[in-house]
Amino acid sequence: MRRILALMLATMVLSAGVVHAGSVGIGAFAGMSIPVLQDDTDSGALYGVRVPVKLVPLVTVEPYYAASNLGDKTTTVAGLSYTRQGFDETAFGANAMLTMGGPVTFYPLAGIGQTKLKRDGFDESFTSYNVGLGLGISPMPKVSIHIRGELQMVSLDGGTSRKFGNATIGASYALFSMP
Amino acid sequence: MKGDATIMIRNLRLWLPVTALAALVAAGCMLVSGQFIVTFDFPDPTTITSPTVLAGVAVDLNTVGEYKDHKGDLKDVVDLAVVGSITNLTATATSVELWMVTSPGSLLTTDTAVRAAGVKIWGPLALGASATKKIGWDESAQLFTGRAVLISEIKGDGRFDLYALGTGAYSFRIDKGALIAVVDAGK
Repeated sequence: MRRILALMLATMVLSAGVVHAGSVGIGAFAGMSIPVLQDDTDSGALYGVRVPVKLVPLVTVEPYYAASNLGDKTTTVAGLSYTRQGFDETAFGANAMLTMGGPVTFYPLAGIGQTKLKRDGFDESFTSYNVGLGLGISPMPKVSIHIRGELQMVSLDGGTSRKFGNATIGASYALFSMP
Repeated sequence: MKGDATIMIRNLRLWLPVTALAALVAAGCMLVSGQFIVTFDFPDPTTITSPTVLAGVAVDLNTVGEYKDHKGDLKDVVDLAVVGSITNLTATATSVELWMVTSPGSLLTTDTAVRAAGVKIWGPLALGASATKKIGWDESAQLFTGRAVLISEIKGDGRFDLYALGTGAYSFRIDKGALIAVVDAGK
């Protein structure tokens, strides 16, 4: 899967040479990260920055940096309650999106990145993959609002993953664009 | 040139979702996986009377429902902790360690025998004279020194013996002790 997504992203970046670059912007987002099938960590706030680069019409590649403070998880063991610290998560990578253009767009996205999970007794980095859907609304030129739902899969050593459902809302501003 | 670009754009419109879908399908196990808490309660209380009168704990995770449910799909152990309340029964400070004997059999009764047959997996935890200390999950997770060997046992037959050892002429009691393992399972 890592090879497929890396190849996909690399080809998209290389394909930019075929036509002129579209635009480069900057954006910020915030939302919630919700662990999926994880007994040992809870939901937490998610926030970060994005740099949308429109390479060709319809295709945007978006490097990102995200951070999340996942919630603690309390479990009762032998009649006593114990709390495990939630992960502090940081991630960076790039997503590719099929943006249709227009004032309202609905687009799929997929990407690859590096995610670091840290808490007492644990501090490791893993390759992660993102897939999801987004809704883009452009109320005025150069500005767009994005509402997204993503599945983030953090690939673990055993061939499994920690999965997070991420729901975010963000805003982007087009710094410059080329015809 | 413009025609080539248009064709490429058309291809990309199909290519992204199809490739992402193919990648997800190829991921298989990565998608259908989760992290589940398995706990094994120690006999309560567990009293270590002296270095020559130990009280080992025969751990058999196969008696734990959550472990049985996931044993066939178990890929890794991603978090470990030993929790409970430890009381020093002497007026001398000690350091508590947890040792594991991987081949379960008759429980050993002496400090010397355990150190000869086993491997240290956790500790030391400083325990003051006549002090009682509740060991939390976060603190305990940081005290593991033998994660690999314990994980190997959990991924194996799930049976091993645990012993709490101290320093000096120790004697202590463990109340509501338990082993916590977060197993990573996937189909």
